[in-house]
Amino acid sequence: MIQLQHISKTYETPAGSFNALRDIDLEIASGEFVAVVGKSGSGKSTLLNMIGGIDRPSSGSLSVGGASVQNLSHNELAAWRGRSIGFVFQFFQLLPTLTVAENVMLPMDFCGTLPRNQRSKRAMRLLERVGVGNQADKLPSALSGGQQQRVAIARALANDPPVILADEPTGNLDSETSAEIFRLFGELAADGKTLLVVTHDPEATTAVSRTITIADGCVA
Amino acid sequence: MIAPRWRKVFRDIAGTPLRTTLAVAAMAAGAFGVSMILTSYSILTRELKTTYTDTCPASAILTLDGAVTDSIVATARHVPGVSDAEARPVIYARVKVGKDQWMPLILFVVRDFRNLRMDRFVPDSGSWPPGDDEVLIERASLSVARADVGDRILVRTIDHGERPIRIAGTVHAAGLAPGWMEHAATGFVTWTSVLRTGVESQQLRILVSGDRLDEHHIREVAKRVESAIGKVTRIDVPTPGRHPHAAQMDTFLFLLGAFGALTFALSAVLVVNMIHALLVEQLRQAAVMKTIGASTRQIASLYLGQVAILAVIALAIGIPLGISAGRAYAGFCASMLNATITNAMPPFWIIACEIVAGIAIPLLAALGPVWRVSRISIHEAFSNGAGRHQFGTRAFDRWLARITWLPRPMMLSLRTAFHRRGRLILTVATLAAGGAAFIAALNVSAAWTRTLDADARARRFDVQAGFPRAYPIADVARALATVPDVAHAEYWAESGAMLGDYRVSLIGPDANSKLLDLPLLEGRWLKPDDDGVCVVTQSIDSRGELTLRINNRTVRWRIVGVVKELVPGRTVYAPRRSILAASGQSGDLTRSVRAVTRNHDIPSQVAASKAIERALDRAGISVGGIHALSDSRKSFADHLVIIKSALIFAALLVVFVGGLGLTTTLSLNVLERTREIGILSAIGATPRTIARGVVVEGIVMAILSWCVAVLVAIPITFALDAATGQMFVRSALDFFMSPAAVAGWLLLVVVLAAISSFHPAQRAARMAIREALAYE
Repeated sequence: MIQLQHISKTYETPAGSFNALRDIDLEIASGEFVAVVGKSGSGKSTLLNMIGGIDRPSSGSLSVGGASVQNLSHNELAAWRGRSIGFVFQFFQLLPTLTVAENVMLPMDFCGTLPRNQRSKRAMRLLERVGVGNQADKLPSALSGGQQQRVAIARALANDPPVILADEPTGNLDSETSAEIFRLFGELAADGKTLLVVTHDPEATTAVSRTITIADGCVA
Repeated sequence: MIAPRWRKVFRDIAGTPLRTTLAVAAMAAGAFGVSMILTSYSILTRELKTTYTDTCPASAILTLDGAVTDSIVATARHVPGVSDAEARPVIYARVKVGKDQWMPLILFVVRDFRNLRMDRFVPDSGSWPPGDDEVLIERASLSVARADVGDRILVRTIDHGERPIRIAGTVHAAGLAPGWMEHAATGFVTWTSVLRTGVESQQLRILVSGDRLDEHHIREVAKRVESAIGKVTRIDVPTPGRHPHAAQMDTFLFLLGAFGALTFALSAVLVVNMIHALLVEQLRQAAVMKTIGASTRQIASLYLGQVAILAVIALAIGIPLGISAGRAYAGFCASMLNATITNAMPPFWIIACEIVAGIAIPLLAALGPVWRVSRISIHEAFSNGAGRHQFGTRAFDRWLARITWLPRPMMLSLRTAFHRRGRLILTVATLAAGGAAFIAALNVSAAWTRTLDADARARRFDVQAGFPRAYPIADVARALATVPDVAHAEYWAESGAMLGDYRVSLIGPDANSKLLDLPLLEGRWLKPDDDGVCVVTQSIDSRGELTLRINNRTVRWRIVGVVKELVPGRTVYAPRRSILAASGQSGDLTRSVRAVTRNHDIPSQVAASKAIERALDRAGISVGGIHALSDSRKSFADHLVIIKSALIFAALLVVFVGGLGLTTTLSLNVLERTREIGILSAIGATPRTIARGVVVEGIVMAILSWCVAVLVAIPITFALDAATGQMFVRSALDFFMSPAAVAGWLLLVVVLAAISSFHPAQRAARMAIREALAYE
C-alpha cells in the first residue's frame, strides 16, 4: 500500500540546512496498523507529512496506493488526498464555525464523493460509529477533547480513504480516552484500512501490528 | 440545501460579529465617500450645465455707437443665422443699505416679462411682472440689498437722483453671477419703469440659430449683423455654454473629482488591508480544508465568496447613505452657485459603476491574500507563526533588536509593530493615504487664503471711487482735502481696449505710484520714464508686442512684464501718459480716484469711504461706485467660499473615512494578537502593561503614517495648487505647507490611534488566558 524508497527531506533554515529524514526505505502493507515512535524532533511527523502529501520529499520516490505522490501537482495532490488519505491531528483541527455533522460532510463536499442527498446520512453513520452520533448538531467548542477527536476520526473516514494518518492523536487526551481512540483505530484496521499513527502513547504498542522507530531522521 | 463549505462562509461572517462589523464598516465608509463625491459631482456637472443653457444666453453682444432702436433690432432679426435679437437697456444704480451706505444695483430693463426669449429668468417669489414703480430682484442678491420682498428700497441712479421703489418679488436668473459673491445686486424693471428716464440700450443681444456652441459660427453671424446695421464699436462673444462663473465651477468640480479619486484610493487601500487581515486569520483553517481534500480553486472561491458577501453588505449601507449625502451636498453647492437642481438623482450609470467598483475592488484586493491562503502549503500553515517571517532574519530586525535601552514592554511593542512587515505597511499606507488627502486639502485652502492676502497687500490704497463721467482732478482733489482721514490720493488713467476679439482694461498708475506692487511672474514692472511699454496680467497670453485697438486707433506696446492678479480679468498696465495719449483723454480730468487713509483697518476704510462720498456729493461730483479695499477682498473671498467648502468637505470626509479606517485597522491588529496577548498574560503581564504596550504600538504606527502622509501630501498639494490656480486665476498658486494641517493631522492620528487601540487591548488583556491562547 505505502512504499518509500531512499526518501530524504532537508529544510533550509536561518541556522543552516537541517536533514529531517535521511534515506528512508519503508514498505507498509494494506490493512497494517503501524505506530511510528521516536523522540521529539526525530522526523516522525515529517515522515507522516510526506506520506500524506502535506510536504514533498527532497529526494527519493514515494508511492501510496499506487500513486506516485511526489509527481502530483498541487491540485491533483489535494484531490488525491481528499479521496485517499484521512488525517487525524493532535489538536483535532475541526472548523470552529461548522457543526460536528457539517465538519464530517465537508470532505465529501470538496471531493464530491457522494450524491448530495446521501452525505448527511453517511456523516451520521460515521458519527454513530465513533460514538458521537448524539452530538451531530453541536459546534466543536461544545464537545470534550475526546469527543472532538472522535469527530476528527469520523471526518477522516468521510470519503472512505484506504489510508488513515494520525499525528499524535491522543497527545491531548487522558489515558482512558486515549485507549478508546486506539480501540477505534484497531477496528478500522480490522476493516481493512491502513493506519499509520505517530505517537508517544504506551497504549499504542499493545494495539498496533507493527512499530517503526525513527531516530535522527532514519528508521532505527 | 446549502453545501457545508458555504455554511462555513456564512457562519464565519455571523460568528465573528466584531470582525465582520469592522470590515463592513471600513468598506462601507469607503463606498460612502466615493458614492457621495460621485453623486454630487455627477448631479452638479449635469445640472449646472442645463441650468445655464436653459436660460438661452445671448450668443453675442454688439455695442453700438448710439442707441439700439426698434428698427435696428428688427433689421438684426432678419439677418441670416440670427434666431432672435433684443435690446435690453441697463441702468447702473445704487441701492441704499444703511446710513451713507450704498451698494451697486444693476437693473435690466425688460420689454415683455411674459415673452422672454433670451437671457431668461423665472419667477421665484412675489408678483410677476412688476409694476412701473417696482423691481424684481435676483434671488441671490436680495441679501446684498439688505431688503425683503414687499420692502421699499431707495435707489440712486447715476444722473437722476434718488427714488424709492418697491421690491415686487424675486426671480432666478441662472445666467448671472450670484449677487452675494459679486457684492452687487441685480434686478429687473419694466420698459416703462419710473427709473428708466432716458436710458437707452447701446447693446444689441443676438441669439444665433444653428450650433449655438460654435464660437466661430457666432462670430460670423455677428459680423453679418454688424454689416447690416452699421455703427458697431465692439462685439463681445461670451464663451458659448460657459457660465460667467464657469472657471470657479470648474475649479470646484475638479477639486471634488480629485478628492473623489483620493478617497477612492484611500478606500481601496483600506479594503486591501481589511481583507488581508481577515484572510491571514484563516490560514490554518484553509490548511485543514486542504488536508481533507479541498482544491486551491475551491478554497479561493470560498474566500472570494466571503469577500463578495461582505462587499455587498457594505455597499447596501454605504451607497444609499453616500447618495443621500451627495444629493444634500449638491443641493448646498447649487444654492451657493445660484443654480436650481431639477433632477436630484445621480445618473444610473454612476450607481452601476459604484456597485461594480464596490464589488470588483474588494475582490481584486482579495486576489493576492486569497491566492496566498489557498496556495500555502499545509506544512507551512500548521507550523508556528504561519505566513510570517521569523523575527531576526532581516537586517532591520537585527538593528531593531540592538535597541535595548528602552523599557522591555516598550521594546516588545516596537519590535512587534515591525515584525509583521506586510501588516505594518498596509496599516501605515491606509493611514497615510487619509493623512495626505487631509493635509493636501487644508494646504490648498491655506494657499488660497495666502494668495488672497498677497493680492490685498499688493494694493496699498484703501478706498477706490469711480465716476460716471470725467471730472477735473483739481475739483476732486479739493473735495478730498476736506476729508481728514485721506492721507494721499492718486488719479490713474483708465480706459478700455480691444485685444483681437477680446476686451481688455487699461490702467495707467501715476508714474511714481507706490500704491501697486503686484507679484511679477515675468520681466519687470513699469518705470517712471517708460513710454510705449506695458505690463500684462497672467490672463493675457500675448508676449513681445501687444497690438490694441483703442477708440478705433491701433497702438502697439512692448510687453515688459507679466504680473499675477487675483481677479482673472484681462488687464494691461501702462504708463499714465501712454494711456492718455492713446485714448485721447485729457490729463486734467479723471473718472476715478484711489485714496490712502490714515488708518488701514476695515472700520477706518468703511468710515473713510462714507466721508469721501459725502465730500464728493457736496462738491457736486456724482459717484458711480465707491468701495473700500476690504470690500473687494471680501467679494473675492466670497468667490472662494465654494472652493473652500469643497476642500473642507474633502478634509472632513477623509477624517471620517480615514478615522474609521484607522480605528478598524488598529482594532483588527489587536484582535490578531489575542493569542500573543494570552501568552503575555500567562507570563505575568498585567492588563495595564498589555494595554499600554498595544497603545504604544498603535501610536508608533500612527506617527510613522504621519511622516509618510506629510511626504505624500507635498506632490499632491503641488498638483492641486497648480491645477486649481490655473483654472481659476490662470496661474499656479504658491506652494504652502500649512503647519496647522500638518500638526492637526499628527494630533488627530495619535489621538485616534490611542483611542482605537486602547479598547480592544483592554478587552484582550482581560480575556482569560486559556481563552486567549485558544483564540482562532
